[in-house]
Amino acid sequence: MKRALVAALLIVAAIPLLSIVAELPPHAAPDSPAYTHVSAHYLEHGAEEAGAENIVTDVILNYRGFDTNGEVTVIFTALAAVLAILLLPSEERVEERPAPAMPVSMVVRFVVRLLAPFIALFAVYVIMNGHVTPGGGFQGGTILGALVIALTIVLGEDEAHRLLPRPARPWLQAAAPLTFVVIGIAGIAVVGSYLGFPAEEPWQWVRTAWLVILEIGIGVGGGAIIGTLFWTMEAER
Amino acid sequence: MIEALWNNLDYAASVVLFLIGLYAVIAKNNLVKKFMGLNIMETAVFAFIVALGVVEGGDAPIHGPDAHPPFTNPLPQALILTGIVVAVSTTALALSLIIRIHRQCGTIEADELREME
Repeated sequence: MKRALVAALLIVAAIPLLSIVAELPPHAAPDSPAYTHVSAHYLEHGAEEAGAENIVTDVILNYRGFDTNGEVTVIFTALAAVLAILLLPSEERVEERPAPAMPVSMVVRFVVRLLAPFIALFAVYVIMNGHVTPGGGFQGGTILGALVIALTIVLGEDEAHRLLPRPARPWLQAAAPLTFVVIGIAGIAVVGSYLGFPAEEPWQWVRTAWLVILEIGIGVGGGAIIGTLFWTMEAER
Repeated sequence: MIEALWNNLDYAASVVLFLIGLYAVIAKNNLVKKFMGLNIMETAVFAFIVALGVVEGGDAPIHGPDAHPPFTNPLPQALILTGIVVAVSTTALALSLIIRIHRQCGTIEADELREME
């Protein structure tokens, strides 16, 4: 009975979705509406106007910088909410389950330790080169976060917690929104608008420098947040 | 209609992915599995919007000495980058809520939780 209901509901959902999808302009057509308006402008003038050869970076950090500012605030708020939910003492614990003791294999330990500096180097490369190659702050930050998680599994929590020193931790977690605020206020000082980027001739290097600073802020903040999320949930076993 | 769907196979595939996610949300009993279904639905939407930006023979939208048009549409990619980060945030929040539920009630099966009320 329940299965029949679910199947019926899925079919009811599938029919309008598929019929709308069939009506859309053909896939990958160069004259599709999504490609012709503002995207064409970004592609033609993005590199000169916004300061980065990677147009995606131009869009997220310059043209739509406000959007990204809100986004880094969202992920920081999510971290704050997770900490608030999990670090509150609960009134009654139903049962304490002992953590399953599973020692990390020696091979895994050795390989992760061997690769850690290279993973960190790759993350820094992805962050710093986000304006000329695929990548950027979010991608590099995720790699950093993955590195923190791998090291936590291999080295144990006490060792890994030294990666983010406790006094600096709040600042690292808030790095992305703080960087946006700093660059935004610098934009007010130089151009006269929040997150404004200078476009005139002698200031072009400043624009690219600001993009790189934003990428670094997002990368450091993202890595710290992902690492802390993992630590908070892991402590829950 | 079948021919139109065949031309828009990428979009149709993301619809199928969306329905798989919807099935998991409706039919699964475990809260983690339900949320995995929601994540699959999110992924379907991301795949759909990124597919909207694909252009026949398009290159990555990065200017440089070797780059030559046509470029794929950078706008959907940038929007989806934002979307993925928000999806990570919601996933973290939902998982921590599930951990909290487990801590309070000792189960994360939806029907057992309903019986507890």
